[in-house]
Amino acid sequence: QVLRIFVADEAMWPLLCSYTLCQLDFWRGPGGQDVPIDVRVPFASLQAVKIFLESNGICYSILIDDLQVSALVDEEQTQMISHHFMPRSVETFNYASYHTLDEIYDFLDLLVAANPDLVSKIQIGNSYEGRPLYVLKFSTGGAKRPAIWIDTGIHSREWITQASGVWFAKKIVDSYGKDPSLTSILDNLDIFLEIVTNPDGFAFTHTKNRMWRKTRSINSGSACIGVDPNRNWDAGFGGAGASSNPCSETYHGPYANSELEVKAIVDFVKSHGNIKAFISIHSYSQLLMYPYGYTRTQAADYQELDNIAKAAVAALSSLYGTRYRYGSIITTIYQASGGTIDWTYNQGIKYSFTFELRDTGSYGFLLPANQIISTAEETWLALMTIMEYTRDHPY
Amino acid sequence: MQRRSAARLGPLLLLLLLPVAWGAGPEPPRADGELQVSSRLAGQAARVALHYLNYRLGSPSALRALGQVRKATVKTIPGIGHKYYLQFTTEDYKSSQNVGTCLATVLYLKRKPRPAVNINCTYTKDQKQTREDDYSFYKKLRQQTKPITGNDIPDSYGHIEPALEPAWALAVAGSSYLMWEKSTENLGYFMAQVKNVKQWITKDDSIDFDYLVILHEIPTQEMISCHLRVIWTPGHPLKVKYFCLSENQQSESEEGSGTESGSTNGIFNEEEANF
Repeated sequence: QVLRIFVADEAMWPLLCSYTLCQLDFWRGPGGQDVPIDVRVPFASLQAVKIFLESNGICYSILIDDLQVSALVDEEQTQMISHHFMPRSVETFNYASYHTLDEIYDFLDLLVAANPDLVSKIQIGNSYEGRPLYVLKFSTGGAKRPAIWIDTGIHSREWITQASGVWFAKKIVDSYGKDPSLTSILDNLDIFLEIVTNPDGFAFTHTKNRMWRKTRSINSGSACIGVDPNRNWDAGFGGAGASSNPCSETYHGPYANSELEVKAIVDFVKSHGNIKAFISIHSYSQLLMYPYGYTRTQAADYQELDNIAKAAVAALSSLYGTRYRYGSIITTIYQASGGTIDWTYNQGIKYSFTFELRDTGSYGFLLPANQIISTAEETWLALMTIMEYTRDHPY
Repeated sequence: MQRRSAARLGPLLLLLLLPVAWGAGPEPPRADGELQVSSRLAGQAARVALHYLNYRLGSPSALRALGQVRKATVKTIPGIGHKYYLQFTTEDYKSSQNVGTCLATVLYLKRKPRPAVNINCTYTKDQKQTREDDYSFYKKLRQQTKPITGNDIPDSYGHIEPALEPAWALAVAGSSYLMWEKSTENLGYFMAQVKNVKQWITKDDSIDFDYLVILHEIPTQEMISCHLRVIWTPGHPLKVKYFCLSENQQSESEEGSGTESGSTNGIFNEEEANF
């Protein structure tokens, strides 16, 4: 059935958007006060949704009684209509739920529109399937200031990371001018944030396979698709800790930077030339790590990085008691060659770190949406620790 | 095709490698002694011990996950294998609340397929309550006239339908047996999702489920599909039967040391005496 829901107060929308309601197919999105919302509810969820609405005193009417009978629905039309649903503002955007690629890309535009003096959107390239690769730039001016880079979603199935990235973006704009530390960070450095680093993979996790990890590039001579973007960097490329089999989840690709998604970042970092901290975010396992992954040789700045990691993990833990382990990649998680932060570190970006967010395996990649905000909040404290240190230790 | 030729080569490679380096893989042969508590091998061994515990307890309300490793040492037993001595805290599988500490030994054997585990734990949850919770799960499932079926548990958004929670918990317990058997010193597992569950209504007093589960394998990052049959009667050992489908061959020895591609069969298990 398609239900027409009457929301008297727009501010109620985030409350309404429990996981149930937000995962449904909206034919007409929230349009402000007194404008109703049309929702297509699959038969299996009908009773639950109606009970939810009734118990919360929300009026609704049945717009279309039986979709199968109605000639309205065909695949394309549904796609087109749900395409048009977009949150009206960054204030009504639901940070406590998982979003599609379109919704996140809409969010980027909303954020820029609401904060034009602070945020801009840069396209650093295109994915294999032609999707734009967008990076948010947070800057209060200057000319090529020293910068901090954060990326989420390089492995598409790690949904908590893209969701946290969205939250971080909002947090930055909310904190500038209010939080003294973040304000001083942005008064001295720029922040670059790439939220959907692997959009092809991300789209695939929504449509076909929730557990997809790699890019979606075609491998010549193989029926298997995709390259592990975290084995494709030019640091120990092709060595132990990656696979040469295109069917493997850790396939390193035919050569370093073969993946457009990786090449775009490499080109950006090289041409920027002034990035001082680089943080690449994954899930799961609750770890904070620094180089190296491809070799047992300790990084030259090992002690300093270890101290920073220790402080960052303590800050993270202070909020909800979430316990993280920390150390170099190879001693903490496993040997991995061709990894992102090994390359960035070897480029001279001293403060190179990688996170594995919640949890430690009970839900794994399928972390419940009700943990998004707490995960993002605690991770933010660790990020702030790293960013403050970067600000205070120019090099 | 690639897979077939590698499967022919696989056993040959293993034969060549075995005498040269135990545990040929990303890790060099280990020096005996104390391990850093943050080391992945310590965590891996602790998890193996917990798989064994979760399977042996066979209690969906008492499933545990790894908290923190407090102490870890490893000893090489020549001709036999590597033995880990561990002390670690544990958390409730769902709530992450601390539920006690364990002492365990995990012996990775060269010749036998699965690690030998000895584990003793304190339990801070009310055991009577746990038994009651198990029994109410059991009663609910026994009262089904229509068999429970389900897909994608948790779903993409991490949600588990309350009615399917007992089935999910039993899948974790049953998968624990499977994950214990498959674990090696370098290869570890998590149960990522129940792809499919179907209940068989039985004439006796047991609960009988057929599952398709997806395991997440570390460090290969592969998602392995396994069929799992779990038969549960509270207070009795779980009966588990499984069959895993291998989608991608395990590639070079540098990654998936000592693992052959193909399927693994585990038949109805008996009492384990492996200390």
